[in-house]
Amino acid sequence: MFKRILIANRGEIALRVIRACRELGVETVAVFSEADRDASYLELADEAICIGPAKGADSYLRIDRVISAAEIGNVQAIHPGYGFLSENSHFAEVCRSCDIGFIGPTPEAMERVGDKNSARALAREAGVPTVPGSDGIIGSEQEAVKVARQIGFPVLLKATAGGGGKGMRVAANDLALASAWQQASAEAQAAFGNPGIYLEKYIERPRHVEIQILGDQHGNVFHLWERDCSTQRRHQKLIEESPSPRLPQATRQKMAEAAVRLAKTAGYFSAGTVEFIVDQEDKFYFIEVNARIQVEHPVSEMVTGIDLVKAQIRVAAGEKLGLEQKDIVPRGHAIECRINAEDPAANFRPCPGRIERIIIPGGFGVRWDSHATTGYSVPPHYDSLVGKLIVHQPTRREAIATMIRALHELRVEGIKTTVPIHLEILSNSAFHDSQIDTTFVERVLLSK
Amino acid sequence: MLARMSAAKKSVDLFDVKKVRQLIELMEEHDLSEIDLKQGDHGVRIKRGGEVVAVSAPNARAAHRPAAPAESAVPESAAEARMLVIKSPMVGTFYKASGPDAPSFVKVGDRIGPEKTVCIVEAMKVFNEIPAGVSGQVVAILVENGAPVEFGQPLIKVDPGA
Repeated sequence: MFKRILIANRGEIALRVIRACRELGVETVAVFSEADRDASYLELADEAICIGPAKGADSYLRIDRVISAAEIGNVQAIHPGYGFLSENSHFAEVCRSCDIGFIGPTPEAMERVGDKNSARALAREAGVPTVPGSDGIIGSEQEAVKVARQIGFPVLLKATAGGGGKGMRVAANDLALASAWQQASAEAQAAFGNPGIYLEKYIERPRHVEIQILGDQHGNVFHLWERDCSTQRRHQKLIEESPSPRLPQATRQKMAEAAVRLAKTAGYFSAGTVEFIVDQEDKFYFIEVNARIQVEHPVSEMVTGIDLVKAQIRVAAGEKLGLEQKDIVPRGHAIECRINAEDPAANFRPCPGRIERIIIPGGFGVRWDSHATTGYSVPPHYDSLVGKLIVHQPTRREAIATMIRALHELRVEGIKTTVPIHLEILSNSAFHDSQIDTTFVERVLLSK
Repeated sequence: MLARMSAAKKSVDLFDVKKVRQLIELMEEHDLSEIDLKQGDHGVRIKRGGEVVAVSAPNARAAHRPAAPAESAVPESAAEARMLVIKSPMVGTFYKASGPDAPSFVKVGDRIGPEKTVCIVEAMKVFNEIPAGVSGQVVAILVENGAPVEFGQPLIKVDPGA
């Protein structure tokens, strides 16, 4: 086991990793930007090193400074968290060449699954169904029309280098395709510096269902079943839950096995998530792999009882995951609400600022993962996540009731948060009946 | 008045007499009456004009950061207020000279200009020469030779008015 680890991240995930390390008896070195200097979770680390000014590009994304901090901090490994450098294969390479363990997959596996096109090719190789679409980047408008006619309208144009909904357009016919193609390309160039666009069949009212996988360095790969993340707004997840309601067991089983097959084919170990889209006929299609621990990992932890971050650290240290797939049996229902410093009444405008007072909910089956404390100022430079509220109960109905109860108990004073939108979603009858898909939030709630 | 410091890990032994003497000198220089130092689970408090109190009780707060000492002191005088501090632009290890036998780049009392190399911060085997960026007289060297430094850490105090 490592003696000391550096956490190349901030906020709630840095705290999450510090906690796992403390339980494993591993010392921690936290890095921070000047904007995070007063964050109280830093006091829980054995050492904290300032690596730059507020801007992420000048601090948390500075590979040289993170590595320097790792050297002066005398660590054996680095946990990259999520976001920032977590899916940067060059960073993983640098760690390897500096003889510092990278707590995640190998740079090779990361690259294989990271690029969306290469991942699709990987899926085909592993016999995992993909959304019918173009074979790589579309070279011209004419090619776009040809492919679209082959796979059938409506089609979705997506940026190969992108995410978060940028560089995406839907086209219902030939005519719309021309302008959609121009727009998507331009947006992709602006957002990612890469105008490459590929085409997919547009699935109507899809559900976003992802499989959590976990592999060790001895060739063992397991799945921890699924999370349903359909409750989104503009491709940003608001609520995640497990199990995916209304997903047939046979589909769940096939998806989980497909995810494991894909991971094994890529030589992937550590934690990862294989994302799928499920259509209204319960047919599933591979979308992409997230080669990192994810924000919503607690949902899977609650239903399986497995600490994913500790598992990542153990895997990186070369330990064998002493698990058997048949023993990973999900119990009950877990829901997570992402509490962001945003104002739902003002188009989700970010609301950085000082938290005058925070009161944290508790009770049976309630978990709060957050770095926020009374007096903490949410900085404007990073994501707006204040905390994650997770509940776990024997049934979905009870989990919803507990989440509503906990959301009412939670007080975050001084800034606006997304608590009201969560309460609205959770009291919506369509949500209760599990009639959710990725268009649900915008269609039902925000169109009022 | 009280100044809080956290010792750079491992390279400063708080109970070395030479170090304690250096600390007392620093205190006199900056007119500090009390210093409270923590290193891991141990601590030392020095009161000027009074006795040296060594406290070995485990510190509840285990975290320590190589943060700047002098920065947290409230300026006592106009002289103190005009002092400039050269801060580290990177994370690494501080060296006051280009080699173990080489003379220091700067000493207390030296007059320097902005182009003058004042120290080296080594990171990933690369020795980076750090320019002063300011003019004036070197008043204090705030970091031990060979100590780790973080981004923004005060390295050298300069009096621009001297």
